[in-house]
Amino acid sequence: MSRVSVIPFGPQHSSFLEPMNLKLSLEEEKVVGATINIGYNHRGMEYAMAQDYKRTVFLCERVCGICSYHHSSAYVQALENAFNVKVSDRANLIRTIMMECQRLTSHLLALGHTAEALGYENLFMQFFREREEIMMLVNRVSGNRVHYSMNTIGGLRKDVTYEQLKDIERTVDVMEPKFLELQKVIRTDSTFRKRTMGIGVLKRSDAESYCVVGPVGRGSGLPHDVRLTGFAGYGVDGMKFQPVYYEEGDVYARNMVRMDEVIQSVDLIRQALNLIRDEPFLNPVKGHPTAEGVGRVEAPRGELYYYVKAKGEVKLDRIKLRTPAFVNIPAIAAMIGGAQLADVAPIAVSVDPCICCCDR
Amino acid sequence: MILMSMLKSTLKNLFSHPVTVLYPFEKPDIPDTNRGRVVWEMQKCIWCRLCEKNCPTLAITTDKEHKTQTIARARCIACRTCVDVCPTNTISMESKYSEAVFLREVHVYDLALKPFEYRVIQLPPSQKVILKKRPGEQEVKDEIGTTSVSAPSEGKGQA
Repeated sequence: MSRVSVIPFGPQHSSFLEPMNLKLSLEEEKVVGATINIGYNHRGMEYAMAQDYKRTVFLCERVCGICSYHHSSAYVQALENAFNVKVSDRANLIRTIMMECQRLTSHLLALGHTAEALGYENLFMQFFREREEIMMLVNRVSGNRVHYSMNTIGGLRKDVTYEQLKDIERTVDVMEPKFLELQKVIRTDSTFRKRTMGIGVLKRSDAESYCVVGPVGRGSGLPHDVRLTGFAGYGVDGMKFQPVYYEEGDVYARNMVRMDEVIQSVDLIRQALNLIRDEPFLNPVKGHPTAEGVGRVEAPRGELYYYVKAKGEVKLDRIKLRTPAFVNIPAIAAMIGGAQLADVAPIAVSVDPCICCCDR
Repeated sequence: MILMSMLKSTLKNLFSHPVTVLYPFEKPDIPDTNRGRVVWEMQKCIWCRLCEKNCPTLAITTDKEHKTQTIARARCIACRTCVDVCPTNTISMESKYSEAVFLREVHVYDLALKPFEYRVIQLPPSQKVILKKRPGEQEVKDEIGTTSVSAPSEGKGQA
């Protein structure tokens, strides 16, 4: 038996976009164990967010750049719960459309990132080229590429015009064939399949014990999706939704969940566009919140949960946010056992580790 | 499994123009609705201080005595709140971004200047700027350009 050597993988590593450290125990090329260290990007956001609930609408978007709108939606949902205010269907459906647009950008980034970790630079560029079109679309609609700043407690800050809704419809129609082509590529391409199939398997029992959420859980056969609970516009009459899930639990399955969800997002955007009616987009609130509130959304990486406890003033008693990356990243330890060192990067990236969300 | 599954897109890319913008020579495609930066037309200002009170990052300082509005560009997150609350449409949003600078600076909009024109004041690297106090908050001593959040004194150290 050969000697076990421990090598650090990260915090600065070419396959990670953000700092995260894996201490890998290796027997020759085989990984026999891994310790995950996080906390390189801790900013103390929960404390900062509790200082002024109105300003936090903008601050909570800064937790993470690739799911910023999901963060602000979850936060305003929590406060709407605390205020006990009803949001109009129009505002809810526009939130749904923007959340799905952000899911498109996030999943395309994750898929491109996986392709890059596999050494498939060309596919990475293909994904990012399509992603750029969606980024420009959300820039035209919201006014910013990353931080949309569209939400406020009780609805939206600004209505989306008829032309902008048409623009979304047009862009989605143009992009769908391109997404289908990319889906065909990663379904059939031999390079992609050989590097991802049967690698980094997370068994269903492990997935349950690690409580993984989002595409990681759905890749391991757990059909858990918060969109089924009908938050925001997903609960409006006429929206049809079934979660995508695969049984295999390997890197390929997790990426296929993301790729299929890209196509599903296009469908959901179309459904929401058809259901939008002329309604007030804002139901303003008065005074300060006094109760507790909870907001749950399905962020691109899984369930995002905000808990808010208010005490009748500008300052909040407590904000707790449970981000999907924080639950998914420890599951890397379960996937990585027995893998080759060269497969560590694709396995770690297939979880879509968002360290900004995780450390906050 | 197919070998060369990307042959179609490879051939297409071979004979098509680059997708990227050659920036200094080509203009980037920034839409008119883009939230770039806020500008003041001081002749319309009624000194109601709503922009100062509502700014989520405390980037705006209104000086009624000297008839100026000062904005710390590095603190501004271009959220458009000040534009929305302004009762006289003094503040408007440009799609152009504020330019990158080498030193920390604030932009001062003065009533004596022409509409949308501003004075640039560069801050020495060590200067502390005392921002205004809000109810329930301690006085914030903060360097312009950092992103700290003002915190009340009693809750400190508990989180």
